Parts: sequence; C-alpha cells; structure tokens
Amino acid sequence: MNAPTVNPAPPGVAVAPDLPDLLPDIKPRRGLVGFVQRHPTIAVGGALLILIVLMGLLAPYLATVDPTALAPARRTRAPSPEHWFGTDMLGRDIYSRVVYGARVSLTVGFSVAIIASAAGLAIGLVSGFVRRADGIVMRVMDGLMSIPPILLAIALMALTRGSVGNVILAITIAEIPRVSRLVRGVVLSLREQPYVDAAIAAGTRAPMIILRHILPNTMAPMTVQATYICGSAMIVEAILSFIGAGTPPTIPSWGNIMAEGRALWQVKPFIVFFPAAFLSVTVLAVNLVGDGLRDALDPRATRRL
Amino acid sequence: MLTYVARRILATIPVMAVVALFVFSLLYIAPGDPAAVIAGDQATPADVERIRASLGLDRPFLIRFGEWVWLILHGDLGTSIFTNLPVSKMIAQRIEPTVSLMAVTLALSVAVAVPIGVVAAWKAGTWIDRLIMAFAVFGFSVPVFVIGYLLAYVFALELEWLPVQGYTPLAEGVGPWLQNLILPATALGCVYIALIARMTRAAMLEVLSQDYIRTARAKGIGQYGILFVHALKNASVPIVTVIGIGIALLIGGAVVTESVFAIPGLGRLTVDAILRRDYPVIQGVVLLFSFVYVLVNLMIDLLYTVLDPRIRY
Repeated sequence: MNAPTVNPAPPGVAVAPDLPDLLPDIKPRRGLVGFVQRHPTIAVGGALLILIVLMGLLAPYLATVDPTALAPARRTRAPSPEHWFGTDMLGRDIYSRVVYGARVSLTVGFSVAIIASAAGLAIGLVSGFVRRADGIVMRVMDGLMSIPPILLAIALMALTRGSVGNVILAITIAEIPRVSRLVRGVVLSLREQPYVDAAIAAGTRAPMIILRHILPNTMAPMTVQATYICGSAMIVEAILSFIGAGTPPTIPSWGNIMAEGRALWQVKPFIVFFPAAFLSVTVLAVNLVGDGLRDALDPRATRRL
Repeated sequence: MLTYVARRILATIPVMAVVALFVFSLLYIAPGDPAAVIAGDQATPADVERIRASLGLDRPFLIRFGEWVWLILHGDLGTSIFTNLPVSKMIAQRIEPTVSLMAVTLALSVAVAVPIGVVAAWKAGTWIDRLIMAFAVFGFSVPVFVIGYLLAYVFALELEWLPVQGYTPLAEGVGPWLQNLILPATALGCVYIALIARMTRAAMLEVLSQDYIRTARAKGIGQYGILFVHALKNASVPIVTVIGIGIALLIGGAVVTESVFAIPGLGRLTVDAILRRDYPVIQGVVLLFSFVYVLVNLMIDLLYTVLDPRIRY
C-alpha cells in the first residue's frame, strides 16, 4: 500500500510530524443498546414495567390456582414449593393473588393517568386561554387542591360503594387540580411567545392556535406528569384498599391482600411482604420511567433537579 | 406589607369557601337518609317526615349550607351518626397523637432532608449525590405502610429496640412518647424527606452557581460557611414552599401510618368513620385538615419576606 504521495519537503526545512487525531470517534450507537446507554433509567424502569404488565396480562397462565379459591384446611401456610408465597387467613394462594393483583394496580394507575391528564389538559387549556373562565376555574381548583389528595379520595370513596371504577374516579378527581395548574402555567407562558402573536396577527382562530401551537408544547411536561400520576395513583389505590375504602375485598388487589394480612403481620409477615414488594417495585419502575422522561424531554430541568 | 398580609389572608376565604361547599355537598349527596336512620326500623313514613322537618332536612340546599357554615364558625361540626357525640369533641379526643406524629415527622424530615440535600448539591455528580438521589426515588416509590411494616419488623420485632405499636401521651413523659413515635415518624417521613431533599438540592445548585458564592469563596470563607450561611439562606424560599406543600403528603400518610402502628389519632378516626359511613365525622376531619393545610401555606407565604428581604409587597 502506497501512502498518498506528498511533495517531499525541500531540504533544510523541518516538517512537523503528523498530529495524532485527538477527536475520539463519535459513533452514536443506534438500536436497543444505544437507547439503554442514553436513557438508562427509562430502560430499567420500562423493562420492569413491561415485565409487570406481562405478569398482569398472563395472570391466568402464571397463577397456580384460582386466586379466590378458599382452602380453610391450609390457612396461613408459610411459603413452600406448593404455595410459593404461602397462603392467607382463608387458605387462598398468595402467589396467585399477587399475580392477579397486578391487574388492579396497573388498571388504576394507567386509567387515572390517562383520564386525569385528558381532563386536566382540557381544563388547563380553557383556563389559560379564556380569561373570563380563568378566575372561577382556578378558585375551584385552589379549593380542591387545599384538600390533601388522599383525604379527598377517601371522602369520595365514602360516598360510593367500593369498585375499581369508583376508585379510579375518586383518585382522578383528586389529581385533576394539579394537572390543570401545570397546563395552565404552560399555556400562559406560551401565549407570550412571538409565534403565538404572529398566529393571532395572521388571523388564526383560537381553536386552531390551541391545536397547532399550544397543545403540542404541553405534551412534554404532560407526559412526565402523567407518569408520576400513574405511580401515585397506584399508591393511593393500595392505601384506599388497605384502609377498607377501595377495591372491594372480593377482588385481589395488592392493597386488599395487605389489608387481610394486617391482623396477622407480626406472626405471618409474608402475607404483607409479597404484595408490598410488588407494589413498591411497580411504582419504582413507573417513577424511573418518569425521571428518565423528564431528563430526556426537558434537558434544562435535568441540570436543576 | 400590611396590605399584602391582609390581601393574602382575604384570598384564603374563597379557597375555604370552595372546600366548605365541597365538604357540605359530601353530606348532602351522601347515600342513606339520616332522618330514616334516627327514626329507626319501626317508624312510619309520617314519622320520618316529621323527623326530617324537625332536623331541617327538608329545606333548600343553600339555606342548609349557610346554616351549616354558621354552625361551623361557632365551632359546631355536627354530631356523629354512630356515637351520637359532637364531632368536635371526638376530634379533640383524638388530636394529640396525630399532632405529635406530624410534629415529630416534620422535625425529623427537615433535620434529615435539608442537610442531605445540601450535601447532594455540594457533591453534585459524585457517587454521594447519586446515592442521595437514588434514595429520593425510593422514598417516592415505596408506600408509607410498606416502610412502616418493614421498620416495625426489623426494629421492633427482630431487634426489639422500640415498641411495635401504640401511643403514649406526652403527659406520661417525653421519653416514652418519643419512643412510640420514632418508627411511625420515620415511615411517614420517607416521602417527605425525598421531596424536601430533592428541592433543597435543586435550589442549592441554582444558588451555588451565583457570582456572590464565588466572591464569598474568594474572600476565604470556608466550605461550610458558604453552604449553610450564604447559599442555604438564599435557597430557602423554594425549600420552605415545598415543606408547606408537602404537609398534604403528611396528612394523607398519617391516616395510613396510624393504622399500621395502631395509633389512636385522627387517621384512625377517619378510617373507622369510613367503615361505619359516619359522614359528619368524615366531613369534620376533612374540613379540619384542609383548614390546617391552607393555614400552614398562608403562614409560609407570609414568611417569604422574612427569609428573603428582596421580596417586597
């Protein structure tokens, strides 16, 4: 191999040696590996979350027995090869109940996140754009926000019979004020942007401005917020079920299993332990995704938080 | 300044009005007819009607709301359906454990969270910072009753260092009182510590990049002087704000923590009231907690001028 011909230096002139290439090879890795490298928290949280979603979906195939099957002869058995997580006071298999319980937590978490985001988005957009509505809407939201969310959900649950739908509704109502506030704040700052002025000057109607210019910009903070709502909704559902104001006891949910194990926790701690561990890991997974999204979508916030 | 204080206090009135309206509607739309409950099983429809009229339950919504507010302003929260005791009296009987729990949690959380938040900001990007922030994520994710059971299992059942459950009134001595509160306060404080530590770190990072911090360093002020005197004071407004907002977490968490540790406080009262559908008690507790929450945040708003003299109204 011949090196490219360079004119030989005239005699007597010193030639500097070639400088080494100091710039490292920047080769952004693509595909899965690259994604994991760039967003480790999203990857870890997302992987955990996918596993738990799969567990909920495939519950009938994973669970060893019917989670509601009573077996009074085999009450409060310790974990064994036969009953992986032991049995509860009524002899029901805790492993099966925990696996099915994932369905309740996931349903409540995702439903609340979606419904609260949609409602909060609508209220926040109206409030941020319609000056006349703003005062009243925000006073109502301030009022609702000054009731601690768990207490608000408890109060609403006291009104209705326990069902998964009512739990979702109660937690959603408790979460809406915060989302509305967030969206309203974003809308108010976006309204001052020159491109919105330009759109108004060009005669664009308000609905079109909202759709084209405002809505897309609220998506990033909304997505992050929705993730956090999902995590906190799962915790609130468990709390409501735990104190007996949530999912009806006939449905195995993590909060219910813990509520049933409460009386025996000093002697049979495993009844409380397994649902508690699954709940914590699930919420952790959701929060990791939230943190990762926040860092990915708003690089400025990363430096601050 | 005075006009600001007055305006800020006035601004809480519509907020409390919304809360009151909401809480009243709760009773108004609550299932079950109190008149029928009081009349008993043997009553004829005419009896029920008579009792309803004597209780004033047949009058319009707004008139009843006005009367209810009037009574509350005079300290009358109604009567429990279940025990027939005045709600205000029931709350008074149960308030000490809850106030103790929240006070100890608040003190513990601030004492832990602010220093670790400052350290995380000071060592930003190092493993100490990562460790503290990882703890914060865990604090947000692990529900309060899970931490509660874990702590009780390890420190009370296995190691037997602290009592498992229960509450000792303050009147019986600070030692026993505190002993019973350490585990519940730690459990309840975890989320709160995570919240405050995160905010402290964020606010400190912002302040530490300011020019006057470099000036202070150039003057030869030591690291701790810079962190805790110059920086922390200037970072205090967002930290104090989040401490106030976080009270909502404490209130919600107290309901559960009291159930886990068998503390006979307002949280237990709420849980019992829900199981019995004792709406006046639920109303009273929600109203009281919301009032306290609004009041705390009002005081924090007024504190801003003290913390940061640059803020003027």
